[in-house]
Amino acid sequence: MANLDTLSASQIAAGVAAGDFSATEVARASLDAIDRRDVSVQAFLEVSADLALAAAAATDAARAAGERLGPLAGVPVAFKDNMHLVGTHTTCASRMLENYDSTFTATCVARMLAAGATPMGKANMDEFAFGSSTESSAFHRTNNPWDTERVPGGSSGGSAAAVAAGEVTLSLGSDTGGSIRQPASLCGVVGMKPTYGAVSRYGVVAFGSSLDQVGPFGRSVGDVALAMNALVAGGNDPYDSTSQDCPVDFLEHLEEPVEGRRVGIVPALMEAEGLASEVRIAIGSAARTLEDQGACIVEVDLPNIAAAIAAYYVIAPCEAFSNLARFDGVRYGYQEKGCATLAEQTAKSRSHGFGLEAKRRQMLGAYLLSSGVYERYYYPAQQVRTLITQDYLHAYEQCDVILMPASPRTAFRFGEISDPTQMYASDMFTISNNIAGNGGISVPLGLGADSGLPVSAQLQGPAFKDRTLLQFARAIERGFSARGVVAPDLAGKGGELA
Amino acid sequence: MALSREDVAGIADYARIDLTERELDEMTAYMNEAVELLAPIRQYDLEGVEPTFHPIGDLSNVMGEDVVDDSVRALDIRTALRNAGASRERYFRVPSILGTEGGDR
Repeated sequence: MANLDTLSASQIAAGVAAGDFSATEVARASLDAIDRRDVSVQAFLEVSADLALAAAAATDAARAAGERLGPLAGVPVAFKDNMHLVGTHTTCASRMLENYDSTFTATCVARMLAAGATPMGKANMDEFAFGSSTESSAFHRTNNPWDTERVPGGSSGGSAAAVAAGEVTLSLGSDTGGSIRQPASLCGVVGMKPTYGAVSRYGVVAFGSSLDQVGPFGRSVGDVALAMNALVAGGNDPYDSTSQDCPVDFLEHLEEPVEGRRVGIVPALMEAEGLASEVRIAIGSAARTLEDQGACIVEVDLPNIAAAIAAYYVIAPCEAFSNLARFDGVRYGYQEKGCATLAEQTAKSRSHGFGLEAKRRQMLGAYLLSSGVYERYYYPAQQVRTLITQDYLHAYEQCDVILMPASPRTAFRFGEISDPTQMYASDMFTISNNIAGNGGISVPLGLGADSGLPVSAQLQGPAFKDRTLLQFARAIERGFSARGVVAPDLAGKGGELA
Repeated sequence: MALSREDVAGIADYARIDLTERELDEMTAYMNEAVELLAPIRQYDLEGVEPTFHPIGDLSNVMGEDVVDDSVRALDIRTALRNAGASRERYFRVPSILGTEGGDR
């Protein structure tokens, strides 16, 4: 009998459509895997068993009625808990929203469901997506499926871990500075941050509105391409004014060869301080794999990229402070009782509702936006943003994609990085892409020579060339025969299709 | 120019976040460390560089028809109020906005 561990999303959809197994059987297998595995992984904040079984039953009924099923028919999917889904809470892993009941469904979630996916629940994250380890979740930690003493990365740590553990086949996360690509790397799965504007942000709780982008996790590039098709289906979303029409079939040209195409390497990044040698070696192997398939490696320069972290930690906290001002304890969220005035209620609700890192980011943003400081930091940061964007434009005149690490190192231990500004360096390779608004993807390269833990390559590409990114990612996957696999300690525990 | 404890208390007040004495100490240390991280921003000669205020260039505003869209976006009163800490009839309920000094006005 088949196990969900070894079935791709398209195999599940095809199997459901052909009647080899039902969507209900798949949903039960996923619930079984969650039941058996999530005790040790803790990827989920909420398992939506009733919604899952109802959606699966609807898929099975549609098939029985002779209707054509969607491309994700019966595929079990988890959603990061900053995405609204009616019938679930949307907590952002914060006490502030502990009891928040979703009042509508996010467009990205709705599109996955419209394609036939089965909603298994909501995944853990760093509080309001502030972090790179999921340790700032107000509720519990999530353990890396490859080594439960280590972090899954973040902020979309639950989404990455649920896929790496084989509890679900696909998941969605959001990426403001690396929050899809870094956890994908630490958990050994494929994770894609599409170009800003490719996927609607409507219904996803905002962190940095000019940086946030939703994207999928999967155990193969093909599964991620399939999810991307679902996310862009239906064109731009009128409820997100930054959402663009992306009439692209990401699967159709996935196998297109990379022969004769150019892959950029930034020498300064490969010598960056803090980059583990096992990661550098693995990126070298990825480059050779692409060369073996006929691609040319060219050196490119991103001269202003060293300022990306500084620019990000001006822009992102300012946008976060602005976005999180809505949590005033009146319309939703934690409300302090017994206050004499609204001002007291607001300050106490925010103080007791937000965790430490959420307070830090808002304090930093409040400071940077204050009169006299704005001129010294915020405005220049937006100018530096222009320089970084131009760097990428120049680089992409010389290459189709840029190859670099996704994370400077493999998964670290809980508590190992306790200094917040050191934690910010976890995103040293991912952040500049959000600054420029371009797409990026993490692709597993197997296990690191020193740590024995998953290592990934990151590919970055020009704006709205996400299909090209997927083609190169597929070429690396093909060369490595290292399709993301379910973490060995968990594989086979539950998940059988009855 | 380091931020003092008093500066940070002022920012907390502006950000509407009550901080305990201990939190204020930790936050002051954090704020100074974080601002140091931002130093590269101030080392650039940015004369004549246009700021990026939108990640996708050359876009113009999308204007919609000024009509109520009940189909998706408009929440009914019950839904809109269901996550509120306090409500009465059709309204969110809040404590006194101007304080109690001076009696009812």
